Amino acid sequence: MAILGFYFDSTRCIGCRACQIACKDKNRIMEPGITFRTVSSFEAGAYPNPGIFHMATTCNHCESPACTANCPTGAMRKTADGTVQHDDELCIGCQTCVQSCPYGVPKLFEGDMKVRKCDACIAFRQAGKNPVCVDACPMRALDFGDTDELKSKYGSAVVSELPCMPDGGTGQNVLVKPKDCTLEDAFRSVII
Amino acid sequence: MSSMLEKVSGANFDRRVFLKGAAVAAAGAVTASAVGCSSGNQEPQEETVEASARPENTLEEVDLWTDLPDPDAEGTWIPVACWHNCGGRCSNKALVKDGVVLRQKTDDIYADEEGQGHFQNRACPRGRSQQQQCFGADRLKYPMKRKNWEPGGVNVNGELRGVDEWERISWEEALDMIASELQRIYGTYGARSVYFSTYAYGPYSNILNTLGGYVYADTVESYGNWKMCCSAYGTPFYNSNPDIEGANDRFDLPNAETIVMLGGNPSWASGGSPSYHFARAKEAGTKFVYVGPSRNITASMLDARWIPVRPATDTAMLLAVAYVMLEQDEQKQLIDWDFLHTYCVGFDAKSMPEDAVLDENFKDYVLGVYDGVPKTPEWATEICGTPVEDIEWLAETVGKQHKVMLLHSYAAARSNGTENLSQLFLTIGAMGGHMGKSGHATGAMYHYEAGNAGPQLVKLGSATSAFVPNPITEVIPGGETWKAIVDGHYTYCGTSGSAVNGWAPKEERDIDIKAIISGANNFLQSKMNVNDGIRAYRKVEFAWANDYKLSSSCQYSDIVLPVTTKWEGYTPDTSSPVWINRESQVITSPVLEEGLYEAKSDQWIADQLADRLGLDRAALFPVSEKQNYFNMIAGAKYFAGGKLMYSQDSSALLTAAAKAKAAGEDFDMSGYTEEWKPLVTITQEDIDKFGDVVGEPQEGVIGFDEIRAQGVYQVEMTDDKRWIGYKDFIEDPEKYPRPSKSGKFEIYCQTKADGINSIGINPEPIKPYPNYIVPKEGYEESFADWSAKERGEYPFQMYTPHYLRRSHTTLDNLPWLQEAFENPVFMNASDGEALGLKTGDTVLVSSKWGQVLRHVSLMESVMPGAIAVPHGVRTDIDPETGIDTGGSENTLLGPVVSNYFPQVSGYNTCLVKVEKWTGEPIPYDYEKTFIPSV
Repeated sequence: MAILGFYFDSTRCIGCRACQIACKDKNRIMEPGITFRTVSSFEAGAYPNPGIFHMATTCNHCESPACTANCPTGAMRKTADGTVQHDDELCIGCQTCVQSCPYGVPKLFEGDMKVRKCDACIAFRQAGKNPVCVDACPMRALDFGDTDELKSKYGSAVVSELPCMPDGGTGQNVLVKPKDCTLEDAFRSVII
Repeated sequence: MSSMLEKVSGANFDRRVFLKGAAVAAAGAVTASAVGCSSGNQEPQEETVEASARPENTLEEVDLWTDLPDPDAEGTWIPVACWHNCGGRCSNKALVKDGVVLRQKTDDIYADEEGQGHFQNRACPRGRSQQQQCFGADRLKYPMKRKNWEPGGVNVNGELRGVDEWERISWEEALDMIASELQRIYGTYGARSVYFSTYAYGPYSNILNTLGGYVYADTVESYGNWKMCCSAYGTPFYNSNPDIEGANDRFDLPNAETIVMLGGNPSWASGGSPSYHFARAKEAGTKFVYVGPSRNITASMLDARWIPVRPATDTAMLLAVAYVMLEQDEQKQLIDWDFLHTYCVGFDAKSMPEDAVLDENFKDYVLGVYDGVPKTPEWATEICGTPVEDIEWLAETVGKQHKVMLLHSYAAARSNGTENLSQLFLTIGAMGGHMGKSGHATGAMYHYEAGNAGPQLVKLGSATSAFVPNPITEVIPGGETWKAIVDGHYTYCGTSGSAVNGWAPKEERDIDIKAIISGANNFLQSKMNVNDGIRAYRKVEFAWANDYKLSSSCQYSDIVLPVTTKWEGYTPDTSSPVWINRESQVITSPVLEEGLYEAKSDQWIADQLADRLGLDRAALFPVSEKQNYFNMIAGAKYFAGGKLMYSQDSSALLTAAAKAKAAGEDFDMSGYTEEWKPLVTITQEDIDKFGDVVGEPQEGVIGFDEIRAQGVYQVEMTDDKRWIGYKDFIEDPEKYPRPSKSGKFEIYCQTKADGINSIGINPEPIKPYPNYIVPKEGYEESFADWSAKERGEYPFQMYTPHYLRRSHTTLDNLPWLQEAFENPVFMNASDGEALGLKTGDTVLVSSKWGQVLRHVSLMESVMPGAIAVPHGVRTDIDPETGIDTGGSENTLLGPVVSNYFPQVSGYNTCLVKVEKWTGEPIPYDYEKTFIPSV
């Protein structure tokens, strides 16, 4: 079975957050502070040789998801297409998944006390379309699909680990094309 | 209509159910107006569930997530407008069901293709958030009147402007009041007492001009000093944009070894495709260099080598580049002398123009012959802060041995004292011979032409509108406007112009403004010197503003009218024909046929006023908005072959031909033909079905319904549509002269010197060649004692980058954008640490002219001594302290005009100090709303 995941090209990303907003739009998230796809900006190096980079992250649709392992009701489940999905009806808002996910992916909606997260636009994919973030990116820095195919499409330089990416040991299915400054151990979060 | 209102204002922002079983409780709690709710960082509940209650967690097929309905089948996709002053005109569509927007998407008509193929013109985050402007909870719903103001000029209570309460009034009352106030003020005080928005907008300016005209503020705004004299130097001035045609199209970018950007940040300022075009050049091997006070987002993405330069000191840095090129030319052959002597005048004594009256030239100025100061890197670095080795490296990099594109935004020239920067930039490009050839360029990157320059290949037709000229020639230099109204006098200097047309010798004049009118504009926020702006507003008898939301200009007015966005009704985007990527044209449709709430279009409002004022409505508004919408589509044309030229160049050619003919001389017009054909096929059935318009059937290449459904048309690229800037001039300078007096690029320009010196606001005459000018409020003035290097009270240089959260002041209020872009002020990390600051702290930034609060972001990518305060955020004055807690850059900018050109507003030259704020930290913008209670 294909292992599905997102690809992100950090050499192209301009941190514009079009993906983040397209995702909020598709999921109709009006609450500030809740994003299913999140763009964060970082800086490495020192004046006069600094490097700004951005990371567009979302659910890694892990091989061994901590959220599904710890969800007491089975609301968070790995589905047949390999993605991790959430059943709102079963969710009791206990936030065990919020606590257990090493990447801060599941988000609590206080309005109805349900947790939700990226579904990799499963309905769109069943209709033969891309996840909305992929089609939203003005820089064509995002892709989604079979991770083996993504590796062969984007070359051997792609990685799944970077200093700024927490390693939760959950077999995260994400591929990143690293920019030089993303490889530096000393990096800082910045607000842009 | 009321059911529509409920749907739009409620359901549109309710969470929608997308997945089977994903039922949502508490509907309505997540409306756009709920922007103040907390952000979900709640402690987990102490709740456990029996393990037996857990379904099997397996990889087996789960019915819940199979056979989901196609999300696109929920509604109809409508191509929608994103009409702001960013120049993108990208493709946006809204999925609409019963007038409710379910979701947006961008261009999916075209695919990205290799070579000369199409590209998807994808929207930026602003376009993606457009629905929050059109259907935002902060939309103005009704006409409003300020409670303690009455028409008649007696009960004005102007001091309450900005803090008064609002009363809902009817359209009848609002229009009657505006009409009677206009009649009273024009009748009592005359047209010189009425001040209207800088950017004259058709419907309102026609009304005011019919009544006698109005005073306006003239400033070159975005273009800074780059606009002044550009035609006199021989550089282009097309569609109000200086120097725009000098660059090449997107296909030629990878042919450059190096692209040097002087200022410019397309990733923020020109959203959509420009950054993508540049990224493709990077991936093809082109190296980038970025010159500016920060290594910005674009430069970072492009892995550009950063040449740091302090704000407003680019002229000093480039003079040193010229010096090094001259010094090292013999050894390294850096200068293209043939180019300088064939296509330029005034570089050296050998190439002086005929009209020169001063026996000086650029080369000898740089070498220090006239002032004893050679413009060495060591001389420059004291001013600009650029390391000497960077200047030396840049000089060699831009030499004639390399294929180089020199591209600039106008940012560096939006600084006082940069009167000579554009001429100097042109000179550096000429020294390297970087014009008219593939892989070489010297020109602007701006708006839609960033990364893809060249004449448009597909254009909408024009809207038909009346034009009533303004009988008043009273023009206040932009930077002085508010102070002029407060003080009652100002220095008149004529108007801005691309050559010397319109400039006038300075003259002190009195002015007594009684009415301030803001339409299609938010000029209290977008002009420098907000504090005087508020004083000006509070001084007058009548202030009227229109907007979608309670802008700053509305907040300080007496009558506020709600206008429709371009998602309501057939309000043509009259700027669309020109403000767009050259290869594509968007054609949008309304989401709602009528205005939301009680909002009305500008044309409806103006027409109603015309009726009340007894003006000739048919003459003022000859064509309905829907007819104009139709006419723009029917008039759309595409380039169908021949010789592609900018319209100013083709008209110059025709003028030259006519002149030759009159003189009985031969003029070779061979090879000059261009053919444009109608784009859209329109049948009588289309016209009848569309309704309420008249038109003739016509034959085009795409159907009326088809292009309206597609929303975008992109041309097929062919070799005859490619663009290399200045190619004609370089190949045949006699036939295609530049618009300067000599017909060449003028490195010595007598027209410039005579024109500028005739204005006379600076006692020191400017040189005809680009010499260094010490800018007002520049780096030098940040010192109490320059020679002792003793800093003054305001040691930081503020500059004001365009920010991706908004386009100037518009879109700044949208929650998704406010969340994505917090709008901090940016300063160097070491500078911040020395002040005891850390990222996220609230800082007090103060200038001679005002004080603002904002969060700070400390970055290594900002040059020490510089602070970037993003342009366009909403002012929010604390009535107790007078501090702008919104953090507007224009609160910090004062009534200062550039050294020689009063119409240049030096937005990037302002001296400030920065302190840690010890009071309450300021909230995030998405925690605030500006919704009037009526």
